[in-house]
Amino acid sequence: MLRLLDAAHNEWYLIESLEGPEEDCRRLLDLGLTPGEEMAVVQAAPLGDPLVVLIRGMRLALRRREASWIQVRQYV
Amino acid sequence: MTSAPTITPGVGSEEPKLASEPPGQESRRPTVCLVGAPNAGKTALMNALTGGGFQTANYPGVTVTLSRGKSKPEFGPEVALVDLPGVQSAVAPSPEEELSCKVLEGTHHSVRPDALILVIDATQLERHLKLAGFAARARKPMVIALTMMDLLARAGQSVNVSKLSAALGVPVIPVDGRTGWGVPELMAGLHRAIGEPSKQPNALAGLPDEPIASYAAVREIIESSGAVRKGNRLILAKDSLTARIDRVVLHRYLGFPVFLIILMSLFAAIFWAAQPFMDWIEAGFAAAGQLTLNVLPEGVLARFIAEGIFGGVGAVAVFFPQIVILFFLMTLLEDSGYLARGAALVDKPLSYLGLHGRSFVPMLSGYACAIPAVLAARTIPSKRERLLTIWILPLMSCSARLPVYALLLAALLPGSPWKAGLALSSIYVASLLTGALTAGLVSRLILRKRASSMLAMELPVYRKPLIKPTIRMTWSRSSAYLKRAGAPIAIISAIIWLVSNFGFGSRQEVAPGAPPPSFISVSELDHSFAAQGGQIIEPLLRPMGIDWRVGVGLISAFAAREVFVSSLAIVFHVAGDEDSQQEGLLEQMRTATFAGGAQRVFTPASIIGLMVFFFFSLQCLSTVAVVRSETNSWKIAGLQLLFYTGLGYLLSTATVQGLRFFGVA
Repeated sequence: MLRLLDAAHNEWYLIESLEGPEEDCRRLLDLGLTPGEEMAVVQAAPLGDPLVVLIRGMRLALRRREASWIQVRQYV
Repeated sequence: MTSAPTITPGVGSEEPKLASEPPGQESRRPTVCLVGAPNAGKTALMNALTGGGFQTANYPGVTVTLSRGKSKPEFGPEVALVDLPGVQSAVAPSPEEELSCKVLEGTHHSVRPDALILVIDATQLERHLKLAGFAARARKPMVIALTMMDLLARAGQSVNVSKLSAALGVPVIPVDGRTGWGVPELMAGLHRAIGEPSKQPNALAGLPDEPIASYAAVREIIESSGAVRKGNRLILAKDSLTARIDRVVLHRYLGFPVFLIILMSLFAAIFWAAQPFMDWIEAGFAAAGQLTLNVLPEGVLARFIAEGIFGGVGAVAVFFPQIVILFFLMTLLEDSGYLARGAALVDKPLSYLGLHGRSFVPMLSGYACAIPAVLAARTIPSKRERLLTIWILPLMSCSARLPVYALLLAALLPGSPWKAGLALSSIYVASLLTGALTAGLVSRLILRKRASSMLAMELPVYRKPLIKPTIRMTWSRSSAYLKRAGAPIAIISAIIWLVSNFGFGSRQEVAPGAPPPSFISVSELDHSFAAQGGQIIEPLLRPMGIDWRVGVGLISAFAAREVFVSSLAIVFHVAGDEDSQQEGLLEQMRTATFAGGAQRVFTPASIIGLMVFFFFSLQCLSTVAVVRSETNSWKIAGLQLLFYTGLGYLLSTATVQGLRFFGVA
């Protein structure tokens, strides 16, 4: 298991859990970042932060801090 | 999980009168709310439904207040339409999300929906249906407007509308608000839903509140309906248009240059393309003032209307073309999808300063005018970041400062326009840096408690903006701005005219034989309340190296900064038409001396001091009024006024005294 922050770009991962401030994680869940969902990091903004991720057909800009809460595992 | 609002089904504002009430003059027309996630295409649909004739206070970013309108006659019986701001999550909502939640819960004081149009992006069915579950719990008659059908094919998907409709128990009608496609069918469906409430169980209303279960339920509904034919879920779509554009505009080395080029083109358009229109407006108001003087009998009233009203409002109205161009280009950037990338690009540096990626739109608008900028700050989710953004907006060099800097630079650097141009550019860059410094200091020293701050921002798919809706949107945004800013500006300029044109009767010169003037009477500017005020504060002005006449200019500039120029022309008795006025004023400024002495008023030191003052000072009461209404706090608005005006005074004085110390008169 690893954090989405450390995930390789352009690879699919499965969300395991969200581990961060409760309210903030609830907001991510509302956005569709639910356990079991596939997501991928496609690129980083020029300063390395935020990351651009794909989730449920949506492109989302996530701060590195937010990406560090998302525990993922490789999609097989 | 604290503030998740709960909606008790069937309770609240439920007023089941619509179907039962006989149609007639007395019966209220039904209120229909448009609900949906941001970027679902709600505002375009609102435009199509109302024909663009809706009342709004939209500012670039998204829908920030409730826009209201009524449906066009061709769509059957009239309904009142309300466009609710998009809701991403009911947890820790931004003020605009909170507003939508209130309306849907039936606790809003004025908007009570009778029916809902759920605006759902067909390319993001799961997410948008899940969010719609929140609204559906209000148990109103509802229809789903399925948008972005044109993008669906691009994503390699298709949706069977009737299967989806059957599975959800809600009529689903595909529409394109930008072209008007499907809108008559949507309204027909809405009237049917209002007329005879559906017997089918509404699957959305039964969705659980808890997001994980809710998403699972939505997926189950969609999959069992067989309505959606998806492509492969796991496609990175690296060669899609959006991915290709993002690889350039968010490229490690190209990202910022592209951003800067876009911003610079925006500024170039605001300043150069607006110029001819500004000249027309200026001439128009001057002509209207002249006409008033010619038509009305000569006297105070005619002068009040000509100078106080037309003159004062005209001084601000000249900036309207810039604001229209700003709104037009911002709407284009927003609709194309770039605005969100801009916010993502600058999020890191801005959050280092305690701001948010979304602060960039207000800051950008601030270079045209602080008023729309303060309003645009509503889209920033956290209160602390919103407040900090509003706090630094008065530092952004708004275009009302431009005529002032132009005059002062012409006086400081006569005969070398390129030096003046260079100095002006430096002022603009300096205002950005000062704003950054202020934000950084305030966030570290005063607003130290770091509340939760999130970006998690959708990057919408790039689309080619359609010109007609963009123009409509620009117009509704610009006219909303006029309505919002117009009244305070007119009132403030009227007051300033009055205090500059009336004074105590005892101070007035009286022609021999004329009756003595009343206690308060018409006055030359030299003997007006403004002049007396100026003379009283002259000891305060001396350290800035200026006399009371310039002080009167500074006071009158609180109506709008550029009024400084016209006030100076009045106090220094510059006559002449528009073209020779600037020359005449510069000539007067070169020779003006302090009363009873040979010491010149406008020296390099005092001119630089004045520029420093205008750089910092919050000389715009309209901004103060807007900050007060946005923060709902006189304390913040008043503190901001005192802080920047005090800072301007102190730094201006320090500059003048410092320059004199080093031998610069």
